Amino acid sequence: MDAPGPHREEDPVTPCSVTTGFFVLGRCGQAAVVSCPGCGRPVCGAHAAANGLCPECGAAQGYGTHDPHHPAWTGGYRRHYYHRSSQLYNDALWYTTFSEYDRGAFNPGDDWSHGGDWGPDDDTGFVDS
Amino acid sequence: MFWRKQKAAIERFHPLHRALTLERAFSVSLRRDDWEPVIQSLARHTAEVRRGKWQLNRRVPGVLVPMLRILVADMPPHGTLSVAADMRGHRLPEKNGPQHDVPVRPPITSMKQWYAMDPWLRMRAELRDGSVLELSVTDRVRHRKYRKRNPRGKIKYKSKSKTVQLVQVTRRLAKDAAVQRPGSPPPQWVRVRVKPGKRTVIRANGKFPGPLEDQAMIDQILHVSTEPFRWTPPGRTARRTP
Repeated sequence: MDAPGPHREEDPVTPCSVTTGFFVLGRCGQAAVVSCPGCGRPVCGAHAAANGLCPECGAAQGYGTHDPHHPAWTGGYRRHYYHRSSQLYNDALWYTTFSEYDRGAFNPGDDWSHGGDWGPDDDTGFVDS
Repeated sequence: MFWRKQKAAIERFHPLHRALTLERAFSVSLRRDDWEPVIQSLARHTAEVRRGKWQLNRRVPGVLVPMLRILVADMPPHGTLSVAADMRGHRLPEKNGPQHDVPVRPPITSMKQWYAMDPWLRMRAELRDGSVLELSVTDRVRHRKYRKRNPRGKIKYKSKSKTVQLVQVTRRLAKDAAVQRPGSPPPQWVRVRVKPGKRTVIRANGKFPGPLEDQAMIDQILHVSTEPFRWTPPGRTARRTP
């Protein structure tokens, strides 16, 4: 499989797959304008950070923000919140469900199903540790 | 004329920002996208206003703005977010209840006690899964004023206050929305009540010693808010809306 090239222009009908919301999660769904040079997923103009990076790749490269006045603050704070609340409630499923949904955004071919590429009965999902 | 530039800067602020600066309170309902200009106006405050009298209460950037961001993220474009913020503090006469005497033992000779209830943040948001979230944060402050006499007869008047913070979060789900009881109970300091029906109502009450500020306060509000959402796990009710 070819690696996605940086700043590749996306088909206008390709939806942005960035996770939105805080408690009620969803996908952005706006027309993507660029492909993230870090992970290759389609990103719309509103979610494309510096150099066309998606919010997650932007945060990984130090472009994240701790200022709640900044529109990108919620996305950066969300994972921290789910991790903390999952520990407080002793509810691993709470964090797992969120994490699976959030990571599902990196599998653009599966029509945004949040379980990844493998179904529950498909044993190809197992790997040796 | 003193403070001319800062007065001019305040005049240029968003009307709700101006109300928070001058009156320290507002109550308003706005569409989701109408809150962005308010947040952007608040972001300029520290750079443009330095006079102590006009400083924002630290709960504005520390709690109000993050909560606005979080609720706005869960709302559809046509959704309405109502906010009643009151940063005037708990010392106002209308927030204080009647004083009553408390039984005492020497060396205290008399004691008066009263409570102040300060609901400083109330929010109501229409979320994009069709549910409605109501949130309130209240400071309950117990004041005690007492008279104390030492062995030589010297009289001193002293006072103490103790704050307990109450967070109540109510989520009224969309019609016929599926609910699923969480696998683990909430922490002991969070009480939950569920009212089944066509529109299930989940109410969580949290009580903890305070006053907490900034990040700690945000964390506690969100921890209480977690419980109503655990009944509909994340991602299950997602819609493809911006």
